[in-house]
Amino acid sequence: MKNNILKLGILMLGLFAILVVYLSYLQVIRGPSIAASPYNHRFQEYEAQVQRGTIYDARGTVLARTEFTDGKGKRVYPEGRNTAHLLGYISEMYGRAGLESAYDRYLLGREGADRIRNYVNKILDRQQSGGDMVLTLDAGLQELAVDLLGGRRGAVVLLDPRSGAVRAMATSPSFDPNKLDTIWNSLVADEDSPLLNRATQGAYPPGSTFKVVTAAGALAEKPDLAAKTFNCPGFIEVNGYKLMDTDAHGDVDLKKALAVSCNTTFAQLGVGLGPEGFERACKAFGLTQDPGLGLPARAGTMASVDKLHPAELASSAIGQGEVLVSPLQMALVAAAIANKGVIMRPYLVDNVKDSMGEVILQTAGRKWLTATTPQIAATIKEGMLEAVRYGTATAAAVSGTQVAGKTGSAQNPHGETHAWFIGFAPASQPTLAVAVIVENSGSGGAVAAPIASRLIAAATAKGY
Amino acid sequence: MASSAINKLAGSRATERNLLLLAAPYTLAGMLALYLGSQRAGYQSLILGPAAVAAFFLVHLYWKKVGYKGDSYLLPITAVLSATSLVVLYRLNPAYGMRQFIWILIGLGVLLLTSRLLVDFRFLGDYKYIYALAGLIALILPIFFGQEHGGAKSWLDFGLFQFQSSEFVKILVVLFLASFLTENKAVLSAGTRSLGWLSIPGPQEWVPLVAMWGVSLLLLVFQRDLGTALIYFGTFLAMVYVATARVSYVVFGLGLFTAGAAASYQLFGHVRSRVAIWLNPWPYADTAGYQLIQSYFAIGSGGVLGTSLGQGYPDFIPLVHSDFIFSAICEELGLLGGAAIIVLFMFYVFRGIKISMNTKDEFAALAASGFTALLGLQAFIIIAGVTGLLPLTGVTLPYVSYGGSSLVANFILMGLLLNISHEAAADL
Repeated sequence: MKNNILKLGILMLGLFAILVVYLSYLQVIRGPSIAASPYNHRFQEYEAQVQRGTIYDARGTVLARTEFTDGKGKRVYPEGRNTAHLLGYISEMYGRAGLESAYDRYLLGREGADRIRNYVNKILDRQQSGGDMVLTLDAGLQELAVDLLGGRRGAVVLLDPRSGAVRAMATSPSFDPNKLDTIWNSLVADEDSPLLNRATQGAYPPGSTFKVVTAAGALAEKPDLAAKTFNCPGFIEVNGYKLMDTDAHGDVDLKKALAVSCNTTFAQLGVGLGPEGFERACKAFGLTQDPGLGLPARAGTMASVDKLHPAELASSAIGQGEVLVSPLQMALVAAAIANKGVIMRPYLVDNVKDSMGEVILQTAGRKWLTATTPQIAATIKEGMLEAVRYGTATAAAVSGTQVAGKTGSAQNPHGETHAWFIGFAPASQPTLAVAVIVENSGSGGAVAAPIASRLIAAATAKGY
Repeated sequence: MASSAINKLAGSRATERNLLLLAAPYTLAGMLALYLGSQRAGYQSLILGPAAVAAFFLVHLYWKKVGYKGDSYLLPITAVLSATSLVVLYRLNPAYGMRQFIWILIGLGVLLLTSRLLVDFRFLGDYKYIYALAGLIALILPIFFGQEHGGAKSWLDFGLFQFQSSEFVKILVVLFLASFLTENKAVLSAGTRSLGWLSIPGPQEWVPLVAMWGVSLLLLVFQRDLGTALIYFGTFLAMVYVATARVSYVVFGLGLFTAGAAASYQLFGHVRSRVAIWLNPWPYADTAGYQLIQSYFAIGSGGVLGTSLGQGYPDFIPLVHSDFIFSAICEELGLLGGAAIIVLFMFYVFRGIKISMNTKDEFAALAASGFTALLGLQAFIIIAGVTGLLPLTGVTLPYVSYGGSSLVANFILMGLLLNISHEAAADL
């Protein structure tokens, strides 16, 4: 019987050991993400006691601060609708979102030395305070981007291709976060979805801007395509499916095909890539992944490999078909060409301090993906330069700065084409990469390229 | 001989004294931290700590004086668990802390009485059918006169205090099974007739067992006290296995359990909803899953070191002082505190198993392993429940949760374990 008792003992101790392992997993690994849930009332309790940290842009402009009136703290967003989707909100009724929610622990002084400091402050009945946060964003450029969208549905992303630092990320329509509690119901009911961050969550056909990806994929498979000449009669037939081009472009090389946005050439390249090659090209540019900005984002989608028959390939290669991506992802495509084929991970938070001003979190540029080789990037850059010089993107030109770009006019079931532009500047040493989309507004060259031009000019003037 | 040296040490109770000396600063530091850290904690918090320490030392000194040879480790383990209970409950609500303190004193008194009056526990083996009857009555009464607490209708209201009969019936269950299994062990182990490849005992041997199990289970289903049913059943299987070493009984039992679980899943909405919440609580975050989600938040906010005493918000969890006290510990004392509680229960189980193995008497060994399995299972089931490892079933965490019935019953259980070890040591 002793033996049986021993076995029972081992079984019971084993059960408890499992419990310890599970508790460690739950509390240490899963814990922080569970506790960050908007259902957790703890943050509202901290909110009532803690002077929440201030959020600044890269130049020291206040983007969010807490104002006390009659001992009750209220969060104020001086930039209002311009930064609503990035900063998010903290509402007792509608929960928490955006960077405010993601960095709650820092802003409320629950990290690093602040933990102990605020513990002591609480015991001694002194004011507890959180740390400040500095973004990479420039409030002036952000405001300009919002103004340039002019209330039309669309988005603008401007980032530094060398580091991934986001300088502007506008989405329209937006909302005033200072009035959230009174306008919430109308926001939810609005057909234009003002709560949606189009820059990261949008799902758009990329149109001809996608030809950059197709070109990189085709050159990776067959480097000699760079010197080849294609003939464009103004249409192409793939398996009985006739794809019309905007014009009969005649004999073009790859650079010129990019400059004049020749559908015939890129449809051929897409068919030549085949389903696997096409998928490889998309994945190389990270189009099927969440870039990890720290805000809700939609990973791009495309037709599955077994559905990529030649006709689908031809239209996917020119950014129609089933490829759906966000403006942030297309800005990163431009950044890849600008940065010699390497995509840096995009980020919005430059640093976070504790309540005494010590930096406790500092973001450094980190490589995300190698999208293509420096040679291929250089070839495509030539084509994008020609597009601005004499092709479809002449409206993107900026005096004094050489801009490289690619337009797109994406057909969609909702009316007029979406106007797209992606590009970078200055072409020799790029410090800015941009993506612009204005929904159902016409051609990329006429609508999106001028917005990029204004934005690049302003950013260059500010020294970015 | 090593074992006799250990027993000699146990006789002198020096180990018990040394370990209690370790438990004392733990208790005092906890109450002091509450006094310093919170405006709500009055001067009582400075009295409760020393008083609780003194009470445990008095029990120790009394045992030393009368030459009691019971195990030296259980009292210190219980002292640390009770101290944690006192500190955490006082932090949640000083009134709970005060009442729990009184219950700890009553529990220690009952423990002394058990070690004195029931020291010749063997006579307890003679009344098994009386236990069965008493247990049945105690379980039936709440169905007609009971109060409902947290979905379980297992409380009797005596005006001055409420009484959860199932906490005491569990001791009777173990005594009944120990006695019955000792008497019928040979027959149950060998079987008297064969059913093909399987030899089974005759109905006169197993019918009382299965009947007792079935009746208690049915009653618990009517009381909706799933946790207690699970504990009774697990203890039942553990004891049958210890007595007979027949895995087939365990397999048969688990089969019955699976059938019972499937049937109650089909029959009872509250069982279905428990399972659904366990699988994914988030859709029910504002409704039936609220309590579990709040428990998750508390545990998740704790991290490794915890928020420290008084700095968390465990009171967001409904019923945190009873079933969910472990989550409060995890939030404020962190993973280290939560794991420490689990390790204390491991020590407890280890001592219980040791006591069971050291006794030469079959009834005593069965009773000791039954008590150990009972207490260990109860701790496991509620900790696994509040952390989401198993579906939540409301039972108390022994010695830690708020509540007199549970505390007193568990002190009696501990007294009986100690008496068994006392007899084994005295025999040497």
